[in-house]
Amino acid sequence: MKKIIFLLLLFIFQNNYGQELFVVTDPASNIPANTLSIRMMQSVFKEQIETGYNYHAMPEITYGLTKNLMIRSTLFVSTRSNNLITEGASFYVKYRFFSVDDINSHFRMATFARYSFNKADIHQEEIEIMGHNTGFETGLIATQLIKKVAISSSISFEKALDNKPDYAFPANQGNNATNYTLSIGKLMYPKKYTSYKQTNINFMLEFLGQTINQNGKSYLDAVPSVQFIINSQARIDFGYRQQLYNSMVRSAPNGVYLNLEYNFFNAF
Amino acid sequence: MKNLKYKFITIIAILTSAVSTAQISKAEIKATGLTCSMCSNAINKQLKSMPEVVNVDTDLNTNTFTVTLKTDNTLSPKIFKEKVEKAGFFIGSLIVSMKSEALNRKDYIFVNNKTEAAASDVKIQVLDKGYVPDKEYKKLLKSFKNIASYAVMNDDDFHVKMIK
Repeated sequence: MKKIIFLLLLFIFQNNYGQELFVVTDPASNIPANTLSIRMMQSVFKEQIETGYNYHAMPEITYGLTKNLMIRSTLFVSTRSNNLITEGASFYVKYRFFSVDDINSHFRMATFARYSFNKADIHQEEIEIMGHNTGFETGLIATQLIKKVAISSSISFEKALDNKPDYAFPANQGNNATNYTLSIGKLMYPKKYTSYKQTNINFMLEFLGQTINQNGKSYLDAVPSVQFIINSQARIDFGYRQQLYNSMVRSAPNGVYLNLEYNFFNAF
Repeated sequence: MKNLKYKFITIIAILTSAVSTAQISKAEIKATGLTCSMCSNAINKQLKSMPEVVNVDTDLNTNTFTVTLKTDNTLSPKIFKEKVEKAGFFIGSLIVSMKSEALNRKDYIFVNNKTEAAASDVKIQVLDKGYVPDKEYKKLLKSFKNIASYAVMNDDDFHVKMIK
């Protein structure tokens, strides 16, 4: 744990540019107004209970309605049931309600809500409405840029409902949880910008935690990742998710992410 | 009737000349709150989406956007604030270049002495809320407490400082 904190502090206080285009979490900043973003998120996670790997694909579309309000819809496709099946979808809205910007810093806050439905079987105690459970999540995000380092944190309430039509949420499991995240991002390349065409390389480190409210069972994961921004318009993320601590049943906590994103500015 | 027609033409001529002297030929925008090239590109694309814009020159390291405008435009400084904010960011400083005739416009309230200007082209910086960082605005509020209109939020007049 001490090592982690040390590495974290080293990472934060090296004087470099901060980036908040995080791989797993969302910053308080929104997508620009009238920008359409399409993203293909893919993950391969190793099954812990059964053998083999679990592939999830999440095609996603995001649109900036105004400078403060964005909407997003995500489709959940997975190989949980051996074939590639669309199991559900999600709707997300985020509203930025506070911004203080200065030359080398900004502090922003946003609130968000997500509703997802999913028809897959419920096979773990972890509550995850991104691709596993039907349910909703709502929370707050705060993002700070200090001395060119971006740090973002969120806290949210997540509640799982029945995965209709076939799978009721197990009565013996806690159906709501508190989630917390901490994300840090840093620009590694270029040291000095010359044009929009230049590929940017970002390093990210994210921590994702959950506590089931009824029984206190928790997990904490770390996701280090590397990100390439191409032509100031497209994004490729490679991430690795590793469980650091856990006291609940999780089917596949460790795995890799590959996200591809493209932005259409002034879409309409 | 003929007289009326001439009067009408004269009025139109005066009106259009007022518009053309009010013209902004160039805007130098420094945006705050961003360090990533994709964020900067969002502002760049917002600015370029205006038909009045000829060219946007960007310094990615300082987030400065130099916007060259067409000669017949009627844009006011407000549009630049709107565009930068639409991209999700804020203006740290906005300096516009215009003909010195524009100094007589009623919607520009000068906080420093404008008679120094002899050149035909002048540069003025907009100092209203939303055109400077919040911290600076708070300082300016104190130093301009004798300018009653400064504290009043009004989208259609601009408190400006002559740069040259």
